[in-house]
Amino acid sequence: MAKIQLGETQHRVLIAVRDGPGAVEDIARAAGLDQAEVVGTARFGEERGWIRIHEQQVTEIALADNAAAWVRDGLPERRFLNAMSGRRELPLRDAAALATNLGSALNEVLKWGGARGWLEKREGSVFVTEKGEVESAAPTDDERALTWILANGAASLETLDSQGIDSKAVVANLGHRGNVARVRSRTRRHVELTDVGRAFLASGDYDLRRQQNQLSPDDIATGRWRLIDLRPYDVSLDSDRVVPVKPHPFRRILERARHAFLEMGFEEAVSPMVDSSFWVFDALFQPQDHPARDMQDTFYVARPATGELPDDSLVERVRATHENGWTTGSVGWGYNWSRDRARRMVLRTHTTATTIRALAQNPEPPRKVFAVGRVFRNEAISYKHLPEFNQVDGIVIDKEANLTTLLGMLQEFYRKMGFEKVKFKPSFFPYTEPSAEVFVFMPARQTWIEMGGAGIFRPEVTRPFGCTCPVLAWGLGLERLAMKIYELDDIRRLYWTDLDWLEEVPLCQS
Amino acid sequence: MPIITVGVKRLSSFLGRSFPMNRLAEALEELGCDVEDTVEVVHYGCPACGMVTEQLPHAAPPRRCEYCAIEQDQPLAEKARLEAIRLDLLADRPDLFDIGGLTRALKGFLGLTAGLPGYAAQPGEVVVEIDARLSRPETYRPFIFCAEVEVPPMTSEDLVDLMHFQESLHWGIGRDRKLASIGVYDLDAIVPPIRYTLLDPDGARFAPLGMGSTPMAGREILQSHPKGRAYAHLLAGHTAYPLLVDARGQVLSMPPIINSEQSRVKIGSRRLFVDVTGVVEDATRNSLYTLVSSLAELGGTIRTVRLEGPAGACQVEPELAPRTTEIVLDEARSWLGLPLSDEQIRGLFGRMRLDAAIAEGRAQVTYPRLRSDIRHPVDLFADLAIGVGYANVPKRLVASSTVSRERPEEAISAVARQAMLGLGYWEIVSLVQTNERDHFAAFRIPVGEEHVLIENPKTVETTMVRTHLMTGLLDTLSRNRRRALPQRFFEIGNVVHAGGDSDTHTREQRRLAFVVCGPDAGFAAVRSVADAVCRELGCEAAYRADSHPSFSAGRCAAFAAAGSGGRSVAGRIGEIHPEVLVSFSLQHPVALGEVELCPLP
Repeated sequence: MAKIQLGETQHRVLIAVRDGPGAVEDIARAAGLDQAEVVGTARFGEERGWIRIHEQQVTEIALADNAAAWVRDGLPERRFLNAMSGRRELPLRDAAALATNLGSALNEVLKWGGARGWLEKREGSVFVTEKGEVESAAPTDDERALTWILANGAASLETLDSQGIDSKAVVANLGHRGNVARVRSRTRRHVELTDVGRAFLASGDYDLRRQQNQLSPDDIATGRWRLIDLRPYDVSLDSDRVVPVKPHPFRRILERARHAFLEMGFEEAVSPMVDSSFWVFDALFQPQDHPARDMQDTFYVARPATGELPDDSLVERVRATHENGWTTGSVGWGYNWSRDRARRMVLRTHTTATTIRALAQNPEPPRKVFAVGRVFRNEAISYKHLPEFNQVDGIVIDKEANLTTLLGMLQEFYRKMGFEKVKFKPSFFPYTEPSAEVFVFMPARQTWIEMGGAGIFRPEVTRPFGCTCPVLAWGLGLERLAMKIYELDDIRRLYWTDLDWLEEVPLCQS
Repeated sequence: MPIITVGVKRLSSFLGRSFPMNRLAEALEELGCDVEDTVEVVHYGCPACGMVTEQLPHAAPPRRCEYCAIEQDQPLAEKARLEAIRLDLLADRPDLFDIGGLTRALKGFLGLTAGLPGYAAQPGEVVVEIDARLSRPETYRPFIFCAEVEVPPMTSEDLVDLMHFQESLHWGIGRDRKLASIGVYDLDAIVPPIRYTLLDPDGARFAPLGMGSTPMAGREILQSHPKGRAYAHLLAGHTAYPLLVDARGQVLSMPPIINSEQSRVKIGSRRLFVDVTGVVEDATRNSLYTLVSSLAELGGTIRTVRLEGPAGACQVEPELAPRTTEIVLDEARSWLGLPLSDEQIRGLFGRMRLDAAIAEGRAQVTYPRLRSDIRHPVDLFADLAIGVGYANVPKRLVASSTVSRERPEEAISAVARQAMLGLGYWEIVSLVQTNERDHFAAFRIPVGEEHVLIENPKTVETTMVRTHLMTGLLDTLSRNRRRALPQRFFEIGNVVHAGGDSDTHTREQRRLAFVVCGPDAGFAAVRSVADAVCRELGCEAAYRADSHPSFSAGRCAAFAAAGSGGRSVAGRIGEIHPEVLVSFSLQHPVALGEVELCPLP
């Protein structure tokens, strides 16, 4: 019978445990191997009955990535407490400035300082509590733990207790503070040589093969690799975390929308973000006193204050349509249309300004046009609203443009965006009739969400451009969709980039 | 947009049949209304006037009565909890602003009745005399239309609904009372004939609503009454104010500001006088017709009012005769894509409360005056679609084949994006609105006159449109200061400059900008990136030393790159000036490049 082929690593592990059972890390040190190799080898030995592995779960605390600086310089609330240098009260504004000076945000300081019972926010000031006063004198257990871990590496709760640090207090304070420390459960293994193993080792009845971590070019070229075993690894161990750089999550949705329409045979259009009221409103039969044109809703532009109107005959047709319906079969709005108001520049409120410009350039069917672009509404910045957002607009100039194809095209688009269920309800807009609002069903949330408006352009919109064919039109918001897909409750996160979030969001959604 | 609350029980009582809340909410949605939510509302009673104040259950019980404005120490007493539907009003459909209008539409939609509602006016006796001076520029509010309505004795709920309806019409048709404003009075407290005349701002005094019985002069009301202050701008520059006054000289109202206390509508009022004054005839008429039609739907009888103008001109209002328009049925069928039979079309119009007489492929469609939204046959086609129900409309794709084409700036952006990602740069997206401090001062750039300025910014943060992409990138570095270095970001987006020959007098460009921050972030790093991007775009870049206030002297270069196929790009790279780093609270060197990828039309 052939002798057992024993690898070098296996041999070293067996030798290391011969003198008595030991923890994996001790054996690794004694055998000059890394822990993964010891565990891998021990499992190999266990299968042959040479080795017994005892497993025990321990809780261990380690520093989070990038947390070393905080441990050295002090946690934000500790630095803040120190900087208060005996003061018991500081007005909020000064406190915010102080926090900023210390390189952190006041809300962070208050969050953790408050959790420790050091700081209190009331009546427009930050107060240092009794507890804060007392604990400003010496580091707390968790701070001492962090210092110890920084010096000695991850520590189990028992280790901390043996250092005179109250591990319960450490977990209470750091357990939910993932950016400072990670508390994790780990399996600690003891390895022991069995009697069978001891007898085998004593018999010497084996061939020792050389073991290496890596083959050298020379090993490969000379054929020496035939005599070498690669040391086995414990393949279940965690890897180092690497993250690929990715396009911005919101960009991926904008691109998906673009590609959906390109796949459906649409040509892409573009128009200026800063445009005249003529293209944003008048060309779409929005009367000049319509509430949407108020300063309340629309950003007007002071420079350049006015733009140029298109050729006079077109402007004349638009004017007549607003005033009396021209030859469109409409009664119009019945007011005096003003060229000056049409020339006023605005930040466009919708990308329908883009599609109507495209229609003006060529109204001949069949045509399908879409545009994705930034649009603006007069809003302040908050978690719910931004003064700008992205919209996708589309038009279809076609003999078959009608309500059935309007709903059909939109349903197809949202299917391409990943929504199987789409529904429509009637709505009213000044430039389409009939008009519809579009909703998609989010299975994850079991709710319908509103996506935007759609309709068939009124003849008052299309006829002045010489278009006699019906035209489907829609304008759909993309921020809402992005917020639902990425489960954001603050719209600003789409535009105020947080690197953690970029890393976190997987490329694949749904 | 205003939100109105419609009680389910009250709506059912007007419909003459009880419906569950969900069925009503669903039907309203199918009609095109915007149902915000369905809720339980709490009604509180006022101990002084008996009026109801309505609130959502989570709001604290009110101490102040909405109607008589009495304020007391104890919260008002809870009277009832009721199911209600909250609707977001649609500016384009004032005929669906109140419970009367909704009742009219739902009766047809739910099949309780069909066809045109009859809202004829009976002859009445009230006369209104109109002063010619209301047509002059300095006192301009020339249009007035009035009606008398006999109603079942007004209840607290009727009064609340009427008040809200009036406010909604002021918003939706009156443009916040600018074009038209409505007054409703207890006709039994008035002695006709009524005069529409002028008030000397500092002359006669009367007691405005909501101030007890304290008499005030016109100018005083504009200065110190809450409604006066809110709407004073509508009378700015007027040398005399519009006034409605009865035969005894008792004031009805000072349009468009406030009514008098004496003529106010009360619980139990049976005869209402309604006036609408305005500066635009259509808006003035439509406000009146919509309001009185609703009162008629809720059980009122409309009576005419004789309006006597200067020089014997005379008019009898309201003129509620319905209008008729002709549509071609095949046009309706092809507009909707639905093969509806003549009989179906007649039935659908009936369901939408219109009458249609059909002959030889055409329909004479009769619609009530209050449907001011009907300006073209397509508006009637839309009514057919709503009658069919959008859920029942089949969904098809257009059959014509068209060829897709992407914009050149998107194609070039895609290449640039792929190159930047491959180089390990993270993409960001930032706002195009910014302000002169963050965009110029922070970058040591003189403000200049080449940027688009917003006339009515909401906040000091957003006063202009960006002319470069540096702000978003530096801001991103600043936000991510806690993270390990080096950090690399890029953005692809548009910038706008004011000026130029285009019809908008602006120049818009697609740009790429990239930034690296860390101990080794220097000119060499961004030079390599610029080279790589140009190479991938098929261009070769030529560099020359440049100076720019945002970059350190001696560490800034401009480049131009041209390639085969006529593509050319230009840009600037360099190490960001330390003063700029300080304004963004950055403590490590930063190098940045910005590339003009292509101009936009």
